[in-house]
Amino acid sequence: MTKTRKILSMLLALALLGSLITVPALAETVELPRNETLYFAGLQWGSVNGWNPLSDDMNNALGITQNAGGSRIPMFETLYMYNMLDGSFTPLLADGDYVWNEARTEITVKIKPAAKWSDGTALTAEDVAYTFDTNVKIGNARGNSYKPFIESVVAVDPSTVVIKAKLNDAGAAVNPLQMITYLEEAYVFQKAWVQTVEARNNNDAAAIKRDPGDDVIASGPYKKYFADDQKVVFVRDDSYWGQDASMWGKLPVPKYLVHAIYADNPSGETAFKAGEVDVCQQFIANIQDLWLKDGLPISTYMDEAPWGICVNMPTAWFNMDIPALQNASLRKAIALAVDYDAIIQNAMTGQSPTFADVPRSCMNPTAGEQATFDHDAVKDLQWAGNDIDGAKKLLDDAGILDTDGDGWRELDGQKLSLNACCPNGWTDWMAAMEIVAAAGEKIGIEITTEFPEWSVYQTVVTAAKQTEYDIFMMWTDSAAPTQPWGRVRQLMSGEFNGIEGNWSGNWGHFANARIDEIIAAIPSTVDADALKALYTEAVQIYLSEVPSFSLMYRPNMFHAVNESVWTNYPDATDGRNIPPSICVDGYGIAALYALELVNP
Amino acid sequence: MKNTIRQVFHSPKFVVGFCIFMAILLTLFIYPLLNPGNPLQMIGLGTFARPGTYVSVYDGVTSPFSTFKLPQADANRLDSLLTTEDRVNMVNWFSLNGVDVAGLDITDTQAMIALWKQHFDPAIRPQGMTKAMRNYYIRLNTSILGASSADALVVSETDEATGEASEKSKITKTDYVNVADVANVVTLPLGTDNFGRDTLKQLVAACGVSILIGLIAGAVATALGLLLGLLAGYLGGLVDDIIMFFTNIFTVIPSFVLLILINYSISQDQRGAGTVALVIGLTSWVWTTRSVRSQVLSLRGRDHVNLSRLSGHSLPRIILTDILPYIASYVVMAFILQVSSGILAEAQLSLLGLGPKTTEVPTLGLMMNWAMLYSAHLNGSWWAYFPVILVIALISFSLNLMNTGLDQVFNPTLRD
Repeated sequence: MTKTRKILSMLLALALLGSLITVPALAETVELPRNETLYFAGLQWGSVNGWNPLSDDMNNALGITQNAGGSRIPMFETLYMYNMLDGSFTPLLADGDYVWNEARTEITVKIKPAAKWSDGTALTAEDVAYTFDTNVKIGNARGNSYKPFIESVVAVDPSTVVIKAKLNDAGAAVNPLQMITYLEEAYVFQKAWVQTVEARNNNDAAAIKRDPGDDVIASGPYKKYFADDQKVVFVRDDSYWGQDASMWGKLPVPKYLVHAIYADNPSGETAFKAGEVDVCQQFIANIQDLWLKDGLPISTYMDEAPWGICVNMPTAWFNMDIPALQNASLRKAIALAVDYDAIIQNAMTGQSPTFADVPRSCMNPTAGEQATFDHDAVKDLQWAGNDIDGAKKLLDDAGILDTDGDGWRELDGQKLSLNACCPNGWTDWMAAMEIVAAAGEKIGIEITTEFPEWSVYQTVVTAAKQTEYDIFMMWTDSAAPTQPWGRVRQLMSGEFNGIEGNWSGNWGHFANARIDEIIAAIPSTVDADALKALYTEAVQIYLSEVPSFSLMYRPNMFHAVNESVWTNYPDATDGRNIPPSICVDGYGIAALYALELVNP
Repeated sequence: MKNTIRQVFHSPKFVVGFCIFMAILLTLFIYPLLNPGNPLQMIGLGTFARPGTYVSVYDGVTSPFSTFKLPQADANRLDSLLTTEDRVNMVNWFSLNGVDVAGLDITDTQAMIALWKQHFDPAIRPQGMTKAMRNYYIRLNTSILGASSADALVVSETDEATGEASEKSKITKTDYVNVADVANVVTLPLGTDNFGRDTLKQLVAACGVSILIGLIAGAVATALGLLLGLLAGYLGGLVDDIIMFFTNIFTVIPSFVLLILINYSISQDQRGAGTVALVIGLTSWVWTTRSVRSQVLSLRGRDHVNLSRLSGHSLPRIILTDILPYIASYVVMAFILQVSSGILAEAQLSLLGLGPKTTEVPTLGLMMNWAMLYSAHLNGSWWAYFPVILVIALISFSLNLMNTGLDQVFNPTLRD
């Protein structure tokens, strides 16, 4: 008996041991020579779901990202490439500049004769038209966003596309600005492949959007190689049409583009510092220390603070669904008291211009946007922050006083106690909210921070009505052809009120009839002076009503590069006019054609 | 009682632990007197200022100068300008750009700088040089040019009305200022954190709050554990079954998981330090209950208890006078351990972002959390997190020492 027991226990122990020794990974290991591979970090979180660009949830950041500030084009391509530095459009699939008709209701675009799909077939106007039709038909995010201002996309002949605007009652285009954006934002898909997908999913829109699209055909210089939970790998298509003299005249330099999948920012940052990542799109606190203190071969687009081109403004919104916050004096007082220098120096570690450098408005710090409004007319409304006395006076004058002597002010007999929220783990935003809360204490308004998880946060913030978050952070749009109109709309437009799942803007549910008129008028206003007057008035309303207040300026992409392997990345002083959009977005992809090895 | 205390203080382990703990407590009371003010005040712009003494440059310039002619002054000044690595890199730049470096002595700072000024041009982009390296040379050049060779620097004042600058004073290389004469000097023994707050001041305040959290959590856990243990052990029967049923359930659920879940469900603005302490206490009573129960079970049948019962004494009286004194030493030890684990639990929770809300009081865990969020551990800002770890370690070390000391005194099997 004891013997059998002994043997049994021995066997058990052996089995346990056996299970501990892991079977060597069966997966085929693929050699990626370091000096032929460009590594990215900070774009892709979690493994990819697939390669189908008709879908909205492939979670395939490097492959499928359509963005008004310049779509990501290593795999799928757009008609034009946007350059946020000067707002220019460089033809990619298009041949030459786009042409408006007389009435500004139609845009005509020619297709490059050289443009080909990765299967060798020609890319034609038919593909462009069918892409638009399919997006609208299956109702994906792109289709839904283009539908309100584009009536149709028509292939006149194989090399000519006409984009027709939706017309308003007066017979003018609803929104010419967004029509231009379409040219640099929308990918073009192969009609034949889309039809294959439609056929195998029986034309069912939901099924088409769920299709993983493993057999996808694209036109870009890279195609999918493999993807697992460790990384996503793209390999260069050596028969890429763009090596034709009418486009780049050569192939991009790296043979492979790889995005390793990291658990969080610190692990991405560690890999970047070790030279395992070449291009890093992550917020790195005190990034200058990487070269000043650690002496690493790391640089950013600009050699001086703020180290990047700041094109958007993370903003704190006041929730107008909270009765107390409908008081404009209270809103402005809080905004006056916040120490923005502390936010910029401590939360953003200096990676933003200050509000003394670029006084606040609805516009980002780029020269183009700053020129759209009259600076003198809004001067008296602007504030630089940390103005405790001014804020106190404003509150005193508005009758918001501490009547019961507990150190906190009351409004309508209620102690003012607000929360300030942002998603957990979004470090710079969290620190900014702490500094907002500290400002509240100085002026007698209790503000406590709250950091919910993103999954919870996003549903609350995008709800049609919510009373959970009083002050909360969201982003604003970056540079794009529709700016700064798009941002004025995003900050204040009443059209987003009452919409469930509102991802577009005005998350504080501000309502103002005049601003809605201005927002409606700007896109079709052509006269420069009239346009400037409209923008100036919009800024005046924004700064006096304070439905939200920007806390800092921020780059669209944190563009930091490690030159351990590759060099000749774009920089602000090289005169090449390549934007710092991590070598893959919009005209930023030109950087891939110019890279050089440090040790060839 | 007196005898017991004397006995306890004869245990060297207890005495050492007690001294460390008292030293920490004493610091908590004395340091705020020396350095008063709000520990959460953001005094510095910029993150993680290094530990050290900061002298106001503005006040220094207007303080009385003394003249010292130190023999090494010039050499020190130049040496702090160029490290050996810089010198080697300068020679590399010279050879990359075809400058003749024959006969150049890299320890001869004057000659190096002269040659550098003669040849360096930031616009040159040598073939194959990375941008990071080019930037390095440009910075080096700026610091070389910035290190003035002039004998005197002029401090000037700008007239606000006319915008004209007028000379105010001259500073020469031999001018020195006594730090005692400068109006504003701030010493930050542990630098600042990511918000520009004085780390030491915050650490002292946080230490107090964390100990308080530990005490509350410990008191709640011990009280609850003791009460349930006494009832279960003494009453037995159905009461025992019910209490042990719940105790066993809570024993198999890891208390930290429970802690995370409860804290997660309390919204952050309700989560003050007191609430977190309470939650920690409410999730860590289980082992105390079990131990107290087993001790009471063995006490219940003793003669003096039976005698009391026969004499018609009430239940509370029997528990208080006949049972509690026999397990008091154990309860005190359990309490000490609970305090220690309460402090650790707060630190762990805060690291996960589930600790007390952040705007009111600093805690040790929150300090660690922010240091982590701002990558203090990656960028070498040890002062933001290492002292915190040290303090946590010291507190739990001292409490555990006291506990072991007590154990040796009270536990008959360990008694010398």
